[in-house]
Amino acid sequence: MSLSGEMIAFILLSLVAIIGGILLINLTRVVHMVIALVFTFISVAGLYVLLSAEFLAAVQILIYSGAITIIMLFGIMLTRHNDTSEKTAGVWRKLLLIAGIAGFGLASYAGIYNLDIPVQETKLHEDNTRQIGMALYSDHMIPFELTSVLLLAALIGAIILAKKDDEKKEGEES
Amino acid sequence: MVEDLLASSPGLLNFGIFFLLATVLLLVILGFVTYAILAERKVMGFMQLRQGPNQVGGRWGLLQTVADVLKLLIKEDTIPKSADRPLFILAPVIAFAPAFMVVAVIPFTDKLQFADIGVGLLYYIAISGISTVGIVTGGWASNNKYALLGGMRAAAQMISYEIPLVMSVLGVILLAGSLNLNDIVDAQSSGWYILKQPIGFIIFLVASIAELNRTPFDLPEAESELVAGFHVEYSGFRWAFFMLSEYVYLFAMASLTTVLFLGGWGPLPFMDFIPGAVWFSLKFSLIVFLLIWVRVTLPRLRADQLMEFGWKVLLPVALANIFLTALLKELFNFM
Amino acid sequence: MDLLNSYQNNYLIVFVFLCLGILLPIVALFLGKLLRPHKPEEAKYTTYESGIEPFHDSRIQFNVRYYIFALMFVIFDVETVFLYPWAVAYDKLGIFALIEMLIFVIMLAIGLIYAWKKKVLRWM
Repeated sequence: MSLSGEMIAFILLSLVAIIGGILLINLTRVVHMVIALVFTFISVAGLYVLLSAEFLAAVQILIYSGAITIIMLFGIMLTRHNDTSEKTAGVWRKLLLIAGIAGFGLASYAGIYNLDIPVQETKLHEDNTRQIGMALYSDHMIPFELTSVLLLAALIGAIILAKKDDEKKEGEES
Repeated sequence: MVEDLLASSPGLLNFGIFFLLATVLLLVILGFVTYAILAERKVMGFMQLRQGPNQVGGRWGLLQTVADVLKLLIKEDTIPKSADRPLFILAPVIAFAPAFMVVAVIPFTDKLQFADIGVGLLYYIAISGISTVGIVTGGWASNNKYALLGGMRAAAQMISYEIPLVMSVLGVILLAGSLNLNDIVDAQSSGWYILKQPIGFIIFLVASIAELNRTPFDLPEAESELVAGFHVEYSGFRWAFFMLSEYVYLFAMASLTTVLFLGGWGPLPFMDFIPGAVWFSLKFSLIVFLLIWVRVTLPRLRADQLMEFGWKVLLPVALANIFLTALLKELFNFM
Repeated sequence: MDLLNSYQNNYLIVFVFLCLGILLPIVALFLGKLLRPHKPEEAKYTTYESGIEPFHDSRIQFNVRYYIFALMFVIFDVETVFLYPWAVAYDKLGIFALIEMLIFVIMLAIGLIYAWKKKVLRWM
């Protein structure tokens, strides 16, 4: 295993992603957690870049780091955002958890290490967006149209839920 | 030489060279910001029949902004006791770093460009969205009512106008058939997109002013309502970084408008003896002047008018523009 | 191979810009620390509220409409993500893709009209 630039980049990015994830779980204030999550999202985008999927990387940043984070922040502002979560787990439980995670990590490492994936020449970095467009709008047309139905359902569902909330509040006030 | 460097295997040496070049660009941008602020004050003064800065640095006030920056540098740095300290420190960095990162993909001339990536335009839009997070964080971390209100307003406005912004450039992408900013400039050699995409240009211009939080869309910083908005608790250089990122975005947005709609470094017909860099800076200055002009002319909108205008007017028009463009393209391809 | 190298180099430049964007605030604030005065005083560290003592918690609950706008933003953002590759590949796809996209956008336009009719788009 040689230490090429790509390898260093991969290690750095995955470290940031994992640290962001750990902070997300361990921080006590909700807003801090969201910011930790942003770092995880951005480093995942970096990993996509390493895999020559630049369109996906840009989408990851646009949708996750940008949009999803904002919706989470606004969701927090809607509630009591000074809340802090409390630690409950005892020492033994923590130790058990760490052992379990380490076991899972070892098992999946061994699994991936033994799995023989043939190396493919990719041409993904050449005109990535056009390739996605060609594939999406000729071969995968039906899933694409279904996505629009899903998005519509999400939008209408959210509006109905929020409106009901609003009316209840107005009723209480009057 | 640059082609060789780009074709070589990426390593530490490349990193060093890029780092030096990017530092030069950073200094150029800081210089631009310094004089853009002065130019803005001068033009505003001219339009309001007054002098503008004219004391520090000669009759034109050439050293006014330099003096302002030095003053900010030696101001005491206060972090309110009730503020959320780590986030308070982090927020200006989250707001500023994306502002500088977006400049990386902008082609100034056919030779002078930093990162020539395939998804250039989408990269710009995606990265600039992160600044919103920085602004909300700053507002929340200050633990101040005005700051939080300003931050939330800023975020609501920026997300509402991001949609028309990304939709308006789709016409340009349809015509150019690429997200790469170089290809978009090349595709305009036969005619600038401001002529082929007039509706798209107007939507883009309005949405970009809103994204920049400038008058008439400067509600997040409405002095008379919110004191100063999300950065009310910030002082000294931390505050300066919020301001800096705003002006770096002005630089980036004016450059992007030039690239997308005004043909980038491309010359007017029969005038190609003038080098591309001059053309670029001319068009760029024109856009910056236009933005200042709009700021001086128009009064601030009301919050509800602002939001409704974005969703009820700009978004439907932008959607219609996309299909109009696609249809026209289809028809002209057949004919 | 050259193309891959150039691709990676271009993203290396993006990374350089990220580093500089983070370094500049750090360096500037560090330099400022050497220059600026530091005279802590109780009153300086209080929260500003137009001259009076701050009352109540400043982290107020926001109206639900902020959340709805954020949600609509996410949905239309996802829509644009689909529109971008479509616009890039449109040359090769032709009239059929136009109809496909028309159906997709009409679906979301229904959502927008529904929100409009339900008076969700009103910022009041």
